[in-house]
Amino acid sequence: MWWLLRRIGVSLALAWIVATIVFMTLHMVPGDPAEILLSTGGVAPDPAAVAELRERLGLEQPLLTQYGQFLLGLTRGDLGTSLVDEYPVLDEIALRLPRTLELIFAGTILAVIVAIPAGTWAALHRGGVFDRIASGTAAFLLAVPVFVVGTVLVLVFAQMLRIMPAGGYVPFAQNPGQHMTLLAMPAVAIAKGLAAVVFRMTRASVLDALSRDYVRTARAKGISPTRVLVRHVVRNALTPVLTVLGLHMGTLLGGTVLVEYVFNWPGMSTPLLRAVEARDYPMVVGIVLTISGLFLLINLIMDLLYAALDPRIRTA
Amino acid sequence: MKKLWLPGTIVGLIILVAILAPLLGLMDPVRQDIANRLAGPMNGSPLGRDEFGRDVFSRLIWGARTSLGVAFASALIAGVIGTAFGLIGGWFRGWGEIFTVRSMDIILCFPPVLLALLVVTLMGPGAGTLILVLSVLYLPGFARVTYAEVLSARSLDYVEAVRALGAPTWRILFRTVLPNVAGPVLVQLSLAVASAVVLESGLSFLGLGVVPPSPSWGLMIRGARATMEQAPMLLLWPCAALTLTILAMNLLCDGLRDAVDPRTPATRRRIRVVDRLLPGLLPAAAPQTEAVLDVRNLTVEIATPRGAIRPVQGVSLQVFAGETLAVVGESGSGKSVTATTVMGLMPPIAQAVEGQAWLGGRDLLRLTEPELRALRGGPMAMVFQDPMSSLNPVHTVGAQVVEAIQAHQKISSSDAWKQAEQLFKRVGIADPQKRLRVYPHEMSGGMRQRVMIAMAIANRPKLLICDEPTTALDVTVQAQILDLLNALKRETGMGMIFITHSLGVVSEIADRVAVMYAGQVVEQGSVAEVFGNPLHPYTRALLEAVPEGDEPPVGIPGIVPQPHAFPVGCRFAPRCRFATPACEAAPLPLEEIRAGREVRCIRWHELTPTEAAA
Repeated sequence: MWWLLRRIGVSLALAWIVATIVFMTLHMVPGDPAEILLSTGGVAPDPAAVAELRERLGLEQPLLTQYGQFLLGLTRGDLGTSLVDEYPVLDEIALRLPRTLELIFAGTILAVIVAIPAGTWAALHRGGVFDRIASGTAAFLLAVPVFVVGTVLVLVFAQMLRIMPAGGYVPFAQNPGQHMTLLAMPAVAIAKGLAAVVFRMTRASVLDALSRDYVRTARAKGISPTRVLVRHVVRNALTPVLTVLGLHMGTLLGGTVLVEYVFNWPGMSTPLLRAVEARDYPMVVGIVLTISGLFLLINLIMDLLYAALDPRIRTA
Repeated sequence: MKKLWLPGTIVGLIILVAILAPLLGLMDPVRQDIANRLAGPMNGSPLGRDEFGRDVFSRLIWGARTSLGVAFASALIAGVIGTAFGLIGGWFRGWGEIFTVRSMDIILCFPPVLLALLVVTLMGPGAGTLILVLSVLYLPGFARVTYAEVLSARSLDYVEAVRALGAPTWRILFRTVLPNVAGPVLVQLSLAVASAVVLESGLSFLGLGVVPPSPSWGLMIRGARATMEQAPMLLLWPCAALTLTILAMNLLCDGLRDAVDPRTPATRRRIRVVDRLLPGLLPAAAPQTEAVLDVRNLTVEIATPRGAIRPVQGVSLQVFAGETLAVVGESGSGKSVTATTVMGLMPPIAQAVEGQAWLGGRDLLRLTEPELRALRGGPMAMVFQDPMSSLNPVHTVGAQVVEAIQAHQKISSSDAWKQAEQLFKRVGIADPQKRLRVYPHEMSGGMRQRVMIAMAIANRPKLLICDEPTTALDVTVQAQILDLLNALKRETGMGMIFITHSLGVVSEIADRVAVMYAGQVVEQGSVAEVFGNPLHPYTRALLEAVPEGDEPPVGIPGIVPQPHAFPVGCRFAPRCRFATPACEAAPLPLEEIRAGREVRCIRWHELTPTEAAA
């Protein structure tokens, strides 16, 4: 139990550090932040506008007060309002976060379903035809950037074969079939890199488990090969795979931005990109904090799963 | 090294082309020519023109220049600063470590693309921003790698020695530590470059990286998306260039990593069809034997990269019901290989090429895997050396014992758990009901070995093979485990093979002993005979090596030869003080001097005259 509390404490501390760094980025950039945010293409911004922005961002107050208010706002879920349309940042996130999460979830499930059996099979038949083909495919998938996969998927399936829509979004409640069709290609694009990573890790990890003494013990008991594989090889090989899954969530969350853009999926990336272009600072900070928080949360969940899978962690 | 050639050449070519781009006489990559908008391949433009009539080929090559420029610049900056941080953190530890290495971990809390977008918001898009962001992103990698290397270098003897001599810190760092770090840092550098190319193109694709009209692969893909329908090739060229570059870089990274961190790849012998159908062994008639296990002339062959080796050659052993046969010898003598082969637990690269192993009228070496499986854990069971690694850490010990019970008895789970409880009681585990539900790491070494024994005797085996079961344990615990095994043997009447290198253990537990050396049995007989009157010089040497009384033990000079370099004649001759040229001339037979007493030495008559007279 202590272990759990400590782990949650670490996550909260990290979240605080992340928030602090995000807050500081604005103030660490040399020059007046308001002026920086308003300047475009080397043209000096309108002094009145700068003054107004300084007022709105609270830049007149001492740094520590600003920091305090920033943190206080965070604890109440107040992420400020957009500089562009004064829309509350939290409302925008609340609308779009579920869609991004759905995409990540679908991609992860897809990757795990394909990669763990494939990795296990490849390890069991190391050096065989399947192993070589699958390992080659994994190396290729790791090399293709996610937006290239997305773009080529659109080109092939939407433009040339015309069997899939190029992109878009329909709420599930409105039309479940259409929703899933639209989800398919983005989910595949998200899954591709993760599947390659999980495949490699599963293969290595199963190979490692196969050479362990406890697998020999299991065989010495005379239990069936399937049982040895499931209970003693794969079961033990899963822990490192989980760690890698957690570590790659960061890349995955970044990848969603590109995938959502390619497929017009109205998740977090649309407002994020719009905000980055318009230099809508509160919106960018809000979204970055949310996704980083999500990242920390996913890692926490992974660690808990890890503990569930490996009893040694719980007592450590 | 073979793995480095192809990707190395491709990466080299791409870098060369990128560097030489201004000298190649290409068309201006940013000059627009609206008249030739989306034109196909034409004179001077082998790949056609893009949506603004710019030359695609030229833009591809200049795009490589942009991508690689940004990637190398950021990787180098991150490499220099990160390595410095790692050096400082690893050398000074304490606060230095917190500031330089631990603080870097925070960067890892941000998804990379998001951190990049945050910085782009403040600084605006452009190559400069990209380099800044990317170098920050790759700092932790370099810092960590260097830090780890410094920590391990610090503890090296010669570094300690240089420090003790009072050499200045900076000189130690540069002279002794940096060269060690160079390999891993190089790998990290190639990883950073590959990953920077991906991120740069991604951000440019989003319109937040390189600023148009500068050529960049990401920007080209972004632009071509709009005209996908009319000119799909426009999209495919930069995609292909990007993928090829990253693929080659990734393969180069893998190759570099293998070169820096050489771990010999395990080879797996392909079992020939002939071997599979006729496993090199002709079936023999079952012998009339009272032995529980009767191993005859067993030879095991293992395929290795250096050719086939025979770690066990012509070994014959017998174990009778209710007796313990000890197999002794140094590491590498083939004791464990013999036992593991009998159990059918050797990996496929190892094969029994000669001999038989009879257990209850069946030759174990000729059984199929399902037939063997029915025997393993049933009539024949094994206890292994290290109970910690031999128990699965993620299942409770009870579940692992129950698994063994249910593999051979068709009984309900609750009955199996009841049996397991009885077994725990039998092997001397106090509070069995509670102990069934703990994990291996929550038990002591002795308790774990008791669990292993419980597991092995679960189905009342006729034969129990113990492979150095007490080696990993404390001396006091050793004695308890030996007592337990002795008691179990007396109670159940099973035959036991006890593999060990400790002669003290042999005298405590065994009835008969077989001394093995370099894959052969060199002497066999009852414990009293062999220990009281050793016939083979190796047995003698082993006995002299046991510390006893005030006399200092005498070591055996030299080491056990490797299986691929076994001597032709007597395998012990190179280390034997009685060796003569005749000993090394030809292989020696195992001579049976009377029933149950065997020795493999041509000079035993001369060396032990009393025995010869008897």
